[in-house]
Amino acid sequence: MDVFLGIDVGSVTTKCAVLDDKDNLLFSLYTRTRGQPITMVQHGLKQVTEHLPPGARVAGVGTTGSARYLAGVIAGADVVKNEITAHAVAALHYVPGVQTIMEIGGQDSKIIIIRDGVVVDFGMNTVCAAGTGSFLDQQASRLALAIEDFGPRALESQTPVRIAGRCTVFAESDMIHKQQMGHRVEDILYGLCEALVRNYLNNIALGKEILPPVVFQGGVAFNKGIVRAFEESLKTKVEVPPHHEVMGAIGAALLAKEDTQRRSASSQFKGFEVADVNYKTSSFECKSCANVCEIAQIFVGSKVVARWGGRCDMWERTSAAAK
Amino acid sequence: MKAGFPHMGDVWLPMVAILRGVGVEPVVPPPYSKKTLSLGVRYSPEGVCIPFKLTLGSMIEALDLGADVIIMAAGPGLCRFGYYAKIQERVLQEQGYKFDMVTTELFEGKFIGVSRFIKRLSGGASMATVYSAVRLGLKKIGALDDIERAVHKVRPLEAVQGTATKIFDEARHALDEASNARSVDLVKADFFRRLDAVERNPSADPLKVGVIGEFYVVLEPFSNMDVEIELGKLGVEVHRTTFVSEWTKFSLFLSMLGMTEKGKLHKAAMPYLKRDVGGDGWETVGEVAYHAGHYDGLVHLAPFTCMPEIVAKNIIPSMKEQIPLLTIICDEQMGRAGMLTRLEAFVDLLRRRRDAQRKAGALAHAAAR
Repeated sequence: MDVFLGIDVGSVTTKCAVLDDKDNLLFSLYTRTRGQPITMVQHGLKQVTEHLPPGARVAGVGTTGSARYLAGVIAGADVVKNEITAHAVAALHYVPGVQTIMEIGGQDSKIIIIRDGVVVDFGMNTVCAAGTGSFLDQQASRLALAIEDFGPRALESQTPVRIAGRCTVFAESDMIHKQQMGHRVEDILYGLCEALVRNYLNNIALGKEILPPVVFQGGVAFNKGIVRAFEESLKTKVEVPPHHEVMGAIGAALLAKEDTQRRSASSQFKGFEVADVNYKTSSFECKSCANVCEIAQIFVGSKVVARWGGRCDMWERTSAAAK
Repeated sequence: MKAGFPHMGDVWLPMVAILRGVGVEPVVPPPYSKKTLSLGVRYSPEGVCIPFKLTLGSMIEALDLGADVIIMAAGPGLCRFGYYAKIQERVLQEQGYKFDMVTTELFEGKFIGVSRFIKRLSGGASMATVYSAVRLGLKKIGALDDIERAVHKVRPLEAVQGTATKIFDEARHALDEASNARSVDLVKADFFRRLDAVERNPSADPLKVGVIGEFYVVLEPFSNMDVEIELGKLGVEVHRTTFVSEWTKFSLFLSMLGMTEKGKLHKAAMPYLKRDVGGDGWETVGEVAYHAGHYDGLVHLAPFTCMPEIVAKNIIPSMKEQIPLLTIICDEQMGRAGMLTRLEAFVDLLRRRRDAQRKAGALAHAAAR
């Protein structure tokens, strides 16, 4: 049986998804990146081998997320795609008539506007991480709350308090202020949910026409408090699809399938052995011009497998030639 | 006298030709680099736009190379860019630099005014000498801009990425060496031939994207992180109205007849914006209206904190001409990875949109038969 593998390496979490040739999800994995994207990709591949049905053959690999190029080199990807396209493809697969996709991840958030099954506009947060998963995580741990309990606890709120949401620095000091005044934790938590939603709608979604069906995906969609705050603010139902946390990886797998079938070529997949390869990374400053670009390089043994980071493509070309 | 000036795209090419032509030694600062930017940022107010910071850094590099005169564009009728020369002069003097700041109202487009300015700078060159120097300078930039338009077409088609960009770099150098109008013509013809000969990728199917916005960040690749080269790599044929040679033409009598590109853009913008809002805000609105039917999408470049472009950006969503548009805010804090992700996603959007339109078109065609 042919299967397709999608890997989504984000700033905070690494996701893997395996689809069969009928696009059914066979296996998915959601782990923390812990600042070690290479190790986590290898870990993901190891997990995938253990859960693959006997006789399965990887016929295509797609990578996405902020470490998509890195993951692509490690796994041998057929498609390396940006997160917008990957998320849109996956959402369209599960909710065919979708018109709006909201995605909130660990360190970025996006909105994708779809009409007649085609992406027509999108937005990504630009300068700040206010209103993303990392901040919720941080605040949960400050309140000694497991992030999984954040949502259910926020839903218990009767009289949410208003929290300043423009910037995490203001939000945090406002939360502390409200807590020291004696407000209940659940009211503060739901207030934070409302602040995050307000921030999202006033920044990323500014000037975008949000029409139903609205799909909410990404890790933060686990948080029931945020889902309810979105529904109250938009006055429309917000759908959280199954496997919402691995949608990027599913999208990458779907794109890999589309690509390998269109080219009718065999996969570039390097095999599950790469899970045991010892990768080393290093970086240096290129002194060829006054830009002094920081070039990152990835080695297997003494062999360079990839280099990038320059303003020009000088180092990328030399590493391509070395292959 | 050694005359330096800050970089903006390829403005150095006609500048050098004109200065040499009237017997003034030009000082060309090194191309923009992170060093230029950090020099500029160090002496700039935090909230000022990237053109201020870059030009200031470039001036410092020119002064360090021995320039005793700095030429800078200035004048009323612009955005705050019009006052930058005055502020930068003060900033540099406070740092102990001794030089004369010479400003030109080139943007006003007064051809005769510019000629007078150069005459004054040259200290006694005849009007005929000045005139022929300016003629050669404009001819060179006109030729380079024509070559660049061809480069934009070749980039998405080339079999080996980077070939056209490399040829373009060589063209700059060759035009700089050309000493008279005839050799400029020869260089131009030669480079057109070379671009024609670039090996093509037979399966390329380029998208057409217009690059619009504030002229400085549109013209200076360092400030927009080489957005045109990156678009080319993604298989996009770039179209743009803003060229150095275009705004020098603005002065000529054609604009009085409303026949220049700018005149057309203003007319197209009329239903939404009836007047100049400083900078290029009016032109940006006009470009959206004018190109909506012709291109697959538009990339809108604006410096961070640029008021005219903010005005334009807020008018665009309410226009009846609808075209996919990606705004990129150019700033020293901008990350390259973030920009590339957005560009990739935008080009994907355009490609899938065009595929869907073609499919619908084919279906309609089949149904009609």
